[in-house]
Amino acid sequence: MNPGMKLLLVVLTALEISFTQSLIVNVILIAISFVYVMVKRMNFKTLFLLIFWPLFPALGLFVSQWLYGSDGIHFAWVLFTRIYAYVFLGATFTLTSSITDLALTLEQDFRLPSKFAYGVLAAFNLMPKIREEVQIIKTSALMRGEVFHVWSPKLYFKAILSSIQWSQNLAEAMTSHGFVEDEPRTHYRVIRITVLDWAMFAFLIIAVQVMLFFIRY
Amino acid sequence: MTDVSISDFTYQYPKSETKVLNDLNLTFKHNHFSLLSGPSGSGKSTLLYFIAGLYPRFIGNDATGTIKFGDTNIKDIPRNHVSNHVAMMFQNPNQQFAMDTVIHELTFVLENIQTQPDQMDKIIDHALTFCGIEKLRDRIINTLSGGEKQRVALSCIVAMDAPVIVLDEPFASIDPDSRIDLIHKLKELQEKHGKTIILADHDLGNYQGVIDEFYYLDPQTHHIDLLNQAESQHFFDNFESTQTIDKQLALPPKNDKNSVIELRHFKLAPHDSLLLQLDHFNFYRQKTTLITGANGIGKSTLFNALTKLLPYAGIISYDGKNIKKIKPLNYAKNVTLLFQDAENQFLNVTVKEELDLSFSNRFNQDYTHEQVEQMLTQLGMQGRDEQVVYSLSEGQKKKLQIVEMLIMNPPVLLLDEPFKGLDYKSLRLMTDFLELAKTKYGQTQIIISHQLSGLEDLIDYHAHFENQNLTYQEVI
Repeated sequence: MNPGMKLLLVVLTALEISFTQSLIVNVILIAISFVYVMVKRMNFKTLFLLIFWPLFPALGLFVSQWLYGSDGIHFAWVLFTRIYAYVFLGATFTLTSSITDLALTLEQDFRLPSKFAYGVLAAFNLMPKIREEVQIIKTSALMRGEVFHVWSPKLYFKAILSSIQWSQNLAEAMTSHGFVEDEPRTHYRVIRITVLDWAMFAFLIIAVQVMLFFIRY
Repeated sequence: MTDVSISDFTYQYPKSETKVLNDLNLTFKHNHFSLLSGPSGSGKSTLLYFIAGLYPRFIGNDATGTIKFGDTNIKDIPRNHVSNHVAMMFQNPNQQFAMDTVIHELTFVLENIQTQPDQMDKIIDHALTFCGIEKLRDRIINTLSGGEKQRVALSCIVAMDAPVIVLDEPFASIDPDSRIDLIHKLKELQEKHGKTIILADHDLGNYQGVIDEFYYLDPQTHHIDLLNQAESQHFFDNFESTQTIDKQLALPPKNDKNSVIELRHFKLAPHDSLLLQLDHFNFYRQKTTLITGANGIGKSTLFNALTKLLPYAGIISYDGKNIKKIKPLNYAKNVTLLFQDAENQFLNVTVKEELDLSFSNRFNQDYTHEQVEQMLTQLGMQGRDEQVVYSLSEGQKKKLQIVEMLIMNPPVLLLDEPFKGLDYKSLRLMTDFLELAKTKYGQTQIIISHQLSGLEDLIDYHAHFENQNLTYQEVI
């Protein structure tokens, strides 16, 4: 499915389950997403992490609603499954779509200004460098007798200084590679939203509405 | 014809009184290979950014005067046509790509200049073949070495096919083989494809016999002069002579008795390319060891391993203890790095805050406040307490950085190009301060430096980095 359509579908569905309270629909969504990512060959380590990390907030919500909330155990389960529904819906997108394809379709089909599409893409590709930079900042602080934790404001001050510098360099580099915002570009790989994409999108979004309408428990 | 002619061109940075480029009148000739040299920080990059059309857009203020490509004033070229006239290659290989893989970047470039999609494969194949990097086609750019990244940058320029190519210190962080190879590729672009090449470099190695014209940016007058045959020869000879200072040194003892940092079965291979392999190597206590070697060969990377910033194989031990078993803060107090980029060292905003931080966190009380005040006065850094460190000049940043790390007074100080951008007088003061730290406080110093003259009295041992090996030498 077209990555842009897929993202839209995931966001819409997640929004809808935020405002409805159907335990069964949550479970169905989790199950379908789970099957989808498994078919797309996710490795077991990622799967484990996907189940493990949300456990804390999900359990926290469950326990507080169950013990202290006024809406009873059913709502506690809804909250619990809702967290996992978000995570697995998100996974159907992040684990199976390429960020490059998303940028291409957002630019070509969704008419997003190209500077946003490519700016975000460039920033995304800088991620490993940012991680290295944070390591350098922390080490350099140690050498001056300061320990920086994730909550140290100075760490962010230094990191923001570096990112301002980088964003400038990146803008210069993109310009020197011929990129001019709001100017027409040609496209080597044309990504179109096909009839099949539309059909899938419509079918799935209607399916979610129907489920939410009929399955109220 | 695309002569690049610059007339009555003057530029000064915002809030600065000096004109870094003062009333320039010169022409970089069509289909010539022009080298622009001059000390770092003298304004070479600034001029190139203006020629490439990046300035004034990416800087606060404009210059006066004109830059023309042939008969066309650069200001009259619409923004989306600048790339038809000029392409640029930057110094930092890490910050010139927007996309993830080589092929995506090349496609991105061609899409920007509105190449027809059915032409792209042919152009990309040609660009990759020309640069000898067909194999890198589908590689992720972040996983490439500096030399490979600069080749990819060149392939983008080849694909863009602009008549003028400007390069800003493009070889500053790449290995010697890549440097020679890329210089010859540029020559080929000039001779066989009619390109005009304008390249800024303060390192004059490998250019003799390749370049057609030699321009020099004088840091005093801020003028650029075209040198004649004799003058350029003088500069090349002068550069050769600074590569060595002919000083005889002792070799370190053969035993491990006075060693402070020991490397055993050590192997450094980031991105799977082997940089350094040492079975048995020592750095010695209370000595100043100079490390020399070509750019991009792995000297700074070695420092990154010594400070635990990069993974390595084998064992590094400090004072007989494996550094992996020493707690990070404790290790950082003992083995400290003076970063090549001074800004990396700063944690606060003003000069006073920076100095106070060093005084309050220092690991011993060896330096008195009076002593530090005197050092600052000698360096001409007095009375700058309230100045924001990021607004200091590069030379002042370097001075402040060295002083604050001297105050910390760690047992082992690693210094990565500590004298870059310092004038000779400041350099001699710094070597005196370092000498004092060594003899009086027992500091061990390991220095990476291309600048050799002025260091004669400080250096005890010299280790040369070559062929993935580090060996002690009897001469500098």
